[in-house]
Amino acid sequence: MTAPTTLDPRTKLVMVLCLSSLAVFIRDIYVLVGVLLLSFLISVILKGNLFPAFKQMKRLLLLIVVVAVAQSLFAPAGRTIVALGTVPILTTGGLIQGAEFILRMAVIVVSATIVATSSYREIVQGLVQWKIPYEIAFMVSVAIRFLPMLIEEIKDVMLAIQLRGVELQKIPLRKRLRIYSYILTPIVIGTVIKAEKLAAAMETRAFRAYPQRTSYMILKMASIDYMLISFSMLAFISVVIVYYMWGI
Amino acid sequence: MNHYVELSNVSFSYPRSKRIIKNITLKLNRSQFTALVGPNGSGKTTLGKLAMGILKPSSGKVFICGKNSTEMTLGEIGKKIGYLFQNPQRQLFALTVAEDIAFSLEWNEHDKAETRRKVTNMLELFQLEHLRNSSPFNLSHGEKERLALAGIFVNHLDYFILDEPTMALDMERKQILSDILEKISSYGIGMLIISHDQDFVNQHADRIIKMSEGEIVYDSTNNLRP
Repeated sequence: MTAPTTLDPRTKLVMVLCLSSLAVFIRDIYVLVGVLLLSFLISVILKGNLFPAFKQMKRLLLLIVVVAVAQSLFAPAGRTIVALGTVPILTTGGLIQGAEFILRMAVIVVSATIVATSSYREIVQGLVQWKIPYEIAFMVSVAIRFLPMLIEEIKDVMLAIQLRGVELQKIPLRKRLRIYSYILTPIVIGTVIKAEKLAAAMETRAFRAYPQRTSYMILKMASIDYMLISFSMLAFISVVIVYYMWGI
Repeated sequence: MNHYVELSNVSFSYPRSKRIIKNITLKLNRSQFTALVGPNGSGKTTLGKLAMGILKPSSGKVFICGKNSTEMTLGEIGKKIGYLFQNPQRQLFALTVAEDIAFSLEWNEHDKAETRRKVTNMLELFQLEHLRNSSPFNLSHGEKERLALAGIFVNHLDYFILDEPTMALDMERKQILSDILEKISSYGIGMLIISHDQDFVNQHADRIIKMSEGEIVYDSTNNLRP
């Protein structure tokens, strides 16, 4: 049997697609918890790097309060927990919807760790072998490759601004928003410059010079891949049918 | 002597990697021109970032003006030490060259006329007047480096940490930078220069610290400047 970590990237993509679609379709908190646990289990089996995902989820937890209050204010449901006069600030319905939002985001974050167990080159090759045009697959790979760099650059600009002696904590919120606009300038300009350089580099390496491309890496699906893809799709369809038939 | 930055038994490692800095104790003095030299990968830039409080030590303590750097915000540190990144592109963010130099003065509520005067001085000093209204992102590497230097020197601070300040400069510009640093140094302002440029180091440094594999292997305060 093929070792779980050597699963075909396409199998992982199908599993992740099923899990994240379920997270979007399902509106039941218990089923969402189940989907999240299943995502965790798959990530652990595939030796996904869950540590950064936990860090991101810790930040998401803060959002639960914001979403719960917003839901309670604009779509009040359930029992009122906190109220300002007659206006409900926090309701049980709002809290549940806040928790559902966080669970959905958590499923997507954990799903990303499943895809990340394959290299971006393997993912591109998987897409190409799915007959997705190479140009589009390449763009996906560029996006995957440049996203961490973009995050790094945003951190760098924040650092540089503060190192010029600007104490962000002491600046009033309205003025602080103006500071954040300084982040956008180098990021947008930097991205355009990088794209120009990348395009030039691709041209010099004869990108699209020939209509047919050969590939050094050829992915081959094993029987475990077919089994997992079939099982994932079957499970996804079953859950959706049962969920909507029962009308939960 | 007045210790501006003090590192006490500092060790540092990046996540999931071996120790980059190994138990370093070091005192950087105000009014001293210190050069930090050593081969690539010896930990010079990491030590510079630790001294600046950008990186927090895995063990040990860093004191800036007697205060533990972990208790200071980066903005607070930025008011005490100016820092030049190895890649100057990383510290430019305004829409024009003049705006970039004026940034810290404007945000720290300096007088407008005073800000204009200081910006004009810096533009002249770093030969950037003709680029006053240009975008910092369209400059050459050397021009970006001069602009980044102007952006930090416009704040009259007591200490500067410069990571490879001569890397992208031609001989003429290097001489101009040398003159500026000499002048600043004569005002009693301290500097830590991380450099591979042996001539530049020998010309300016009062003290030379050499690093190898995360350790200080040589520290001499008796450098004879010409």
